[in-house]
Amino acid sequence: MVFNSLTFVVFFACVLVLHNLPLSWTTKKINLLIASYLFYSAWNPPFVILLWVSTVVDWYAAQGLVKARRESARHAWMLLSVVANLGLLGYFKYGQFLVDNFGALMGTLGIAWQPAHYDIVLPVGISFYTFATMSYTLDVYLRRAQPANNLLDYALFVTFFPHLVAGPIMRPTELVPQFEQPRKASADQLRFGLALMTLGLFNKIVIADSFLSRVAERVYDGDKIPGMLDAWAATLAFSGQIFCDFAGYSTTAIGAALCLGFAMPDNFRFPYAAIGFSDFWRRWHITLSSWLRDYLYIPLGGNRHGERRTYAALMATMLLGGLWHGASWTFVVWGGLHGLYLAVERLVRTRFAAYRPGPAMLVALGLLTFALVNITWVFFRARTFDKAWSVLRGMLGTNTASRPILPMFGLLTVAVIVGGMVLTHWYMRGRTLESVVARAHPAAVCAVWALLAFAIVIAQGSGAAFIYFQF
Amino acid sequence: MSLDSRTQIDGADRYARQTAADRPGVAQPVPVRPLPAQPWNRILPFAIVLFALLLAAWEWHWRAFGATPGIRNTDGLWAIQRRRIDHGEGNATVLTGASRVYFDVQLPVWEKLAGTRPIQLAYEGTTPLVYLDDLAADANFTGRVLIGVAPDVFFTGFAYRGTAAKYTHKESPSQRIGQWLSMRFIEPYFAFYDPDYALETVLARQAWPQRPGRPDRLDVRKLAQTAADRDTHLWGKVDTDPAYRALARSIWHQEFQPSEDDPPPEKLKQMIADEIARAAKDVAALRARGVQVLFVRPPSDGEYLEFENKLFPRAQTWDALLAATGAPGIHFQDYPELNQNWNLPEWSHLAQADAECYTAALYTIIERDFWPKHDPRQTKR
Repeated sequence: MVFNSLTFVVFFACVLVLHNLPLSWTTKKINLLIASYLFYSAWNPPFVILLWVSTVVDWYAAQGLVKARRESARHAWMLLSVVANLGLLGYFKYGQFLVDNFGALMGTLGIAWQPAHYDIVLPVGISFYTFATMSYTLDVYLRRAQPANNLLDYALFVTFFPHLVAGPIMRPTELVPQFEQPRKASADQLRFGLALMTLGLFNKIVIADSFLSRVAERVYDGDKIPGMLDAWAATLAFSGQIFCDFAGYSTTAIGAALCLGFAMPDNFRFPYAAIGFSDFWRRWHITLSSWLRDYLYIPLGGNRHGERRTYAALMATMLLGGLWHGASWTFVVWGGLHGLYLAVERLVRTRFAAYRPGPAMLVALGLLTFALVNITWVFFRARTFDKAWSVLRGMLGTNTASRPILPMFGLLTVAVIVGGMVLTHWYMRGRTLESVVARAHPAAVCAVWALLAFAIVIAQGSGAAFIYFQF
Repeated sequence: MSLDSRTQIDGADRYARQTAADRPGVAQPVPVRPLPAQPWNRILPFAIVLFALLLAAWEWHWRAFGATPGIRNTDGLWAIQRRRIDHGEGNATVLTGASRVYFDVQLPVWEKLAGTRPIQLAYEGTTPLVYLDDLAADANFTGRVLIGVAPDVFFTGFAYRGTAAKYTHKESPSQRIGQWLSMRFIEPYFAFYDPDYALETVLARQAWPQRPGRPDRLDVRKLAQTAADRDTHLWGKVDTDPAYRALARSIWHQEFQPSEDDPPPEKLKQMIADEIARAAKDVAALRARGVQVLFVRPPSDGEYLEFENKLFPRAQTWDALLAATGAPGIHFQDYPELNQNWNLPEWSHLAQADAECYTAALYTIIERDFWPKHDPRQTKR
């Protein structure tokens, strides 16, 4: 189920009540586990089996890793986990993509071969929970973590509903220890957790779905050729939409966990105030970028084997990171562009190591970063390369046959919301939400909370799925 | 934050709170979530009271406008009716079409005359062919289907709400529960809970400056009131409030003006031919299974009728459709009892009282000329 649904409101109320009943800690954990399976099966019940497969394989792989005496046996257990998880991911997410591309390759070689259409349904959140379970086995393999004490704690780590389908991607060392001791939110934690959920849902329902998605759709899903203003407005709208959609989900998830007494890590740190791309990736989807860094970039050699190998590892990580988002070459290009940006930034920083930019230059570099990030969003949002080129040409002002697409209200919406968002990110770039809330007058906190909740209700969201569910 | 230090750009210390991004290649610790020091025990109740006051004011505003609580016309609501076919009512009478069948055919009147309540699957602004494709592919459906023909929708294949069949087949348990909850605990009580009063919709239709080169067009406003089984009628305000009626007419009027987006005549001709061919294919599939098909052209009036006659002349559309499909049809202009001096406040839909009379007249013709109440073909199934 999605957070922005009536079903979730009822579900979460039931979970909160159950979690606060005078029951044993083990019973409460079983309740949370059952609730999490219900949460997942509310989309498509049979896919719970995949979740069980991923859970059981990594549980036994980690047990095997601990018991293994030879290094080759440890390798084998680790490989079992990786192959099983990537196999699931490969079949359900990339099966059709691979078959289609094989067909296209055969076609270019002059061999007529019609790829079959398998109509494979993508299980929601499979990319997230397979990465979470893999991190469990890999951390044990890398001797960074001990296996969980019991299957219940481990299964709850994989399945805990706030992070299950769209992250933050949890590491075992972040969550498993929290299940070892009884946890219950204090009254203030519960209240602040509810406030975080309100903020997250406001981002999703009001900003992303109600205001920004329609602007992006008019240009990206229409058949008209956009001019410069429309192309930029739609792309900026999407950049705001995807942030509010995904950061909204993460904030809601963190708030939901907090209401139950659990702590989840930040997944975003005001990324549109990033100066440079290494900064951007330490602010955007942090749990994925750090996962890719720890389990892909570093094992590929990281920066330990010379410049060439570093650039190769960087590019491979970002290309695969792009592919993680979706089985399409447009996502690969998105990842490739980020890899290229990171490589160029690394080169520039090496060449101009002594350069100290002043405040104005830092702002300029921040705006340049934001503009270049927007270029990458074109490939992320466009469903085809034809559409991506059309929008890019529009952004460069070379679409001569364009006609105005967006109404004035759409342009104003983007200017106010995305402009306000960027300014907010700059104000917040060295702060935390909690520190700002702590300094605010209680009446202001009260008024903002009520207004956010009011806006959520009158926006009348459609219960649209979060963008990242498809990944 | 100061922006003049290189260390603040490069070092992890520039971040107010450390995350996994700042701890490469190590086991990540249990996160710590600080709680802002605030009197939360007082903030929450005051926030709830303020929220309730704001919501009450919003509800009052829309009730003062004339809105009353009603059931939202969603794909989830459509799915409930569509599932009846798969759950024991495969031989039922199904109504398809665009808004004219949806608003004009009154289910209680039909039920009173026929003895059974038809399944209402018409959807506003949407060609029935989207849903006829779905019915044609469903072996469970062996009943009768009435297909409404609104020329500008039917013969262009326009599908404003064309996702309901796909939604029905993919609807998740969560969505079904959400629909159930909403229909019972939200929709019957709140007048503001209508897409026409959603925040973005309300803001978007304010008088913003017009963008040069892009004339603003008003979106269609709320026109109907729906019940839980999709029994729907024209909203009373359209009939009784002259300003709102004029607004509704002015919105249709936009459609009658030439636009750069209009298909050229040759393309329109091809679109009409394509839609007729598509209908013929569906009708053939349905009739092969013994389904009885009947086309119905509900009444329209005023500028709307003039527009339809100009762009979709009867000979090239309605007559061609019946010839291509071999199916019977009822055109309102062919039956005096359907071509009365109806009250169509915005030229396209009947006011509720007239919709009831129209339904009775239509059903009487249908039973008399096409679908006898005790049809051996129906009872055999």
